[in-house]
Amino acid sequence: MITKKVLPRRTFLRGMGSAAIALPFLDAMTPAFAASSMPGGAPVRMAFFYVPNGMIMDAWNPSYEGKFQEMPRSLKPLEPFKDDILQIGNLTHNTGRALLDGAGDHGRCCGSYLTGVQVKKSLTEIKSSISFDQIVANEIGKQTRFPSLELGMEDARQAGDCDSGYSCAYTNNLAWRGESQPLPPMLDPRALFERMFGTGQPMTPEERARQSVYRRSILDFVTDHTHKLESSLGPTDRRKLDEYLSAIRQVEVQIERAEKDTKPIEPGMDKPYGIPADFSEHFKLMSNMVAIAFQADQTRVVTFLMTREGSSRPYRELEIPDGHHPLTHHRNLPDLMEKVRKINEYHVRQFASFVEKMKSTQEGDRSLLDNCMIVYGAGLSDGNAHLHEDLPTLIAGRGGNTIKTGRRMVVRRETPMCNLFLTMMDRMGVHMDKFGDSTGRLQGLDLG
Amino acid sequence: MQEFSKGKPPAGVFFDTDFSAIDAVLAMSILYGLQGKNDCRVAIVSMSRPNLAVAGFADAVERFYKGPAGNFSQVPPIGMRTEGLAGDTSPAFTVPFEKKNADGSTLYKNQVKSEIDTGDPNTLFRNYLEAQYDLNAFWVLGGPATNLASALAFPGMPELIAAKIKYLVVSVGAFPNGPADGRIKGDITAARRVFAEWPTPIVACGREVGAGLLFPGASIDKEFAEQVHDNPVADAYRACHTMPYDAPSWDMAAALYAGRPKEGYFKLSGPGTIVVQDDGRTSFSDSDKGKHQYLILDREQKDRILKTYVELASAKPVPPKRFRPADDAADPQQEQKKPPVDAVKPPDNK
Repeated sequence: MITKKVLPRRTFLRGMGSAAIALPFLDAMTPAFAASSMPGGAPVRMAFFYVPNGMIMDAWNPSYEGKFQEMPRSLKPLEPFKDDILQIGNLTHNTGRALLDGAGDHGRCCGSYLTGVQVKKSLTEIKSSISFDQIVANEIGKQTRFPSLELGMEDARQAGDCDSGYSCAYTNNLAWRGESQPLPPMLDPRALFERMFGTGQPMTPEERARQSVYRRSILDFVTDHTHKLESSLGPTDRRKLDEYLSAIRQVEVQIERAEKDTKPIEPGMDKPYGIPADFSEHFKLMSNMVAIAFQADQTRVVTFLMTREGSSRPYRELEIPDGHHPLTHHRNLPDLMEKVRKINEYHVRQFASFVEKMKSTQEGDRSLLDNCMIVYGAGLSDGNAHLHEDLPTLIAGRGGNTIKTGRRMVVRRETPMCNLFLTMMDRMGVHMDKFGDSTGRLQGLDLG
Repeated sequence: MQEFSKGKPPAGVFFDTDFSAIDAVLAMSILYGLQGKNDCRVAIVSMSRPNLAVAGFADAVERFYKGPAGNFSQVPPIGMRTEGLAGDTSPAFTVPFEKKNADGSTLYKNQVKSEIDTGDPNTLFRNYLEAQYDLNAFWVLGGPATNLASALAFPGMPELIAAKIKYLVVSVGAFPNGPADGRIKGDITAARRVFAEWPTPIVACGREVGAGLLFPGASIDKEFAEQVHDNPVADAYRACHTMPYDAPSWDMAAALYAGRPKEGYFKLSGPGTIVVQDDGRTSFSDSDKGKHQYLILDREQKDRILKTYVELASAKPVPPKRFRPADDAADPQQEQKKPPVDAVKPPDNK
């Protein structure tokens, strides 16, 4: 008779102070004879990576449908992962349009992106609706340590006029807990790290000081427990654990480096403490933590505002000193359009590094990416014309083998984006008849 | 820099037809002619049969009148039903695409290559109704009522129609009585539903009206040619039948009345109720509380109407104006409550 002591899926490495590190899926968590497959199947996770100001669509949309051939320029960085991607054309957010509210497409398109409603044009009376990620988080969030994580990389102020009478609450948030409750994204890598690997109790000043003085890693606090656990694991699991903890340590080192770096990010503008000056570094840091959070099943729902809608961030790393938003109003001038293409491609390149990380992380007999639906998209298509149809949308990952990737799928014009959300909800185990302005479920995600 | 007109725009137009006759194409050009004179704005054109060739031609006409998609504007898709029979494809819808530019490319631009290039009618109706001010839109139906009946069954749509659509003008039936109409027979259930459940007034333009107003085909090579050398509507007219011929103007009459209900082009019946018989005939019964009326051809207006047809249908395309609320910073809900400035009046021109 073969017996095997199964390690609970919700095992944490705990130590002194406020450290609590959730573990990734290990073979030891499966019963005998079931190795390499997760009990009950791997959970499906979803994330949204939002980029602002629309895109130059000729570099986003290929000229064909079906199986990916030559990737369009903006998607080139995803070339190595094209078999893991589904690009969807023609999805529309009607609620992002002016309808009767005049100017303010940036405020509306971000406010409506995950909520599916037209937000109230106001600086003080904020009104949107619960976003669909939060509906999912409310339903399944109890199964994970965090119902959801809201992350971003730029300006999280919540008040003031960010677009023609639309509050910054609309341009600076993706997730909404309720109609007047946006969930501001977390920008600070240290804050995210402590949230993910702490017990939920804030560090006492003494603990923080001790950790700082001795430059101790969070892993040092759980050393005893780690050794104890390792001794009970097989070689494969030991390797997995080592890789996982190394990834955490790597993030920690990056954070420390960012905290020591005090050079200004703009002439005359101090760099926020702890946030890497380099966009790419910041993204890598934050997205690595997303990968770890998914790997350890700490959450199954993430929203990630790469930069806020209407962002005028310059991209000096690309030798583009002009602001992103002003550039997108390029008036079809070729040199300005070219700069926007470079920014679009640069954003996708960052995202591709995250996709690579997810794909290289094994979970059971698949990659972690296979068990996810990572949407990369924007609330505007043509940023120059402020169009809300044919929104740039792609899904990386197969949603637990329920999505046929490696292709471009084009749906009928004006098909509501909310139809995709309804369909994604199904895959997350949350079933609704209608969400936002949906007219039904999006057919064909699982058809090759 | 694009200029903005302030305040409430002219009434939005929803035109649904089966494009079974050249009359429907001319009705489109009349609606765009009215748009050029700021009498209305064409919101959505939809068709009640799944015919890609016809949808493609309608798309080309839209692009002819709206011009290339530009800043803050896009040519909306043609709404097309995907069930049912495709029906005939008149040469009117294909021959115009034989015209080429000097470089060999097709003169008239048509973006419809497959079903995905069209839109689901209900989604389009919903999306574009939401963009209309209250009771500042009208609907013209020139074919079987299939799409409209489907809209009435779409969640939330009856309320939206009641809020936005001032009236519906239908180019079907015969009044006060007459033979069965093929358009009614094409979907009797739908016609019944629309006459019974449409939430705002309906004005019927019977077949006898259009039959009594023959569009002067000679204008195609005269007024049309004088205005624009290459016009897809004129080319379609030439290709539809052997020239010269004068086409009945069923949909044109409905479009003209709908766009200019106060101009006295037609007489109107008193209020009543239209009922659809099993054999496709329509019957009208007087009723003070009825929401239906029908148009009566006024022989004295015939020449004026025909002249107006030609003037509007042959007019050069005028790019649509972009409107913003009078006070962009004002509360849009308050703006909505202001009394209409130029909203279409109810059909009261007896």
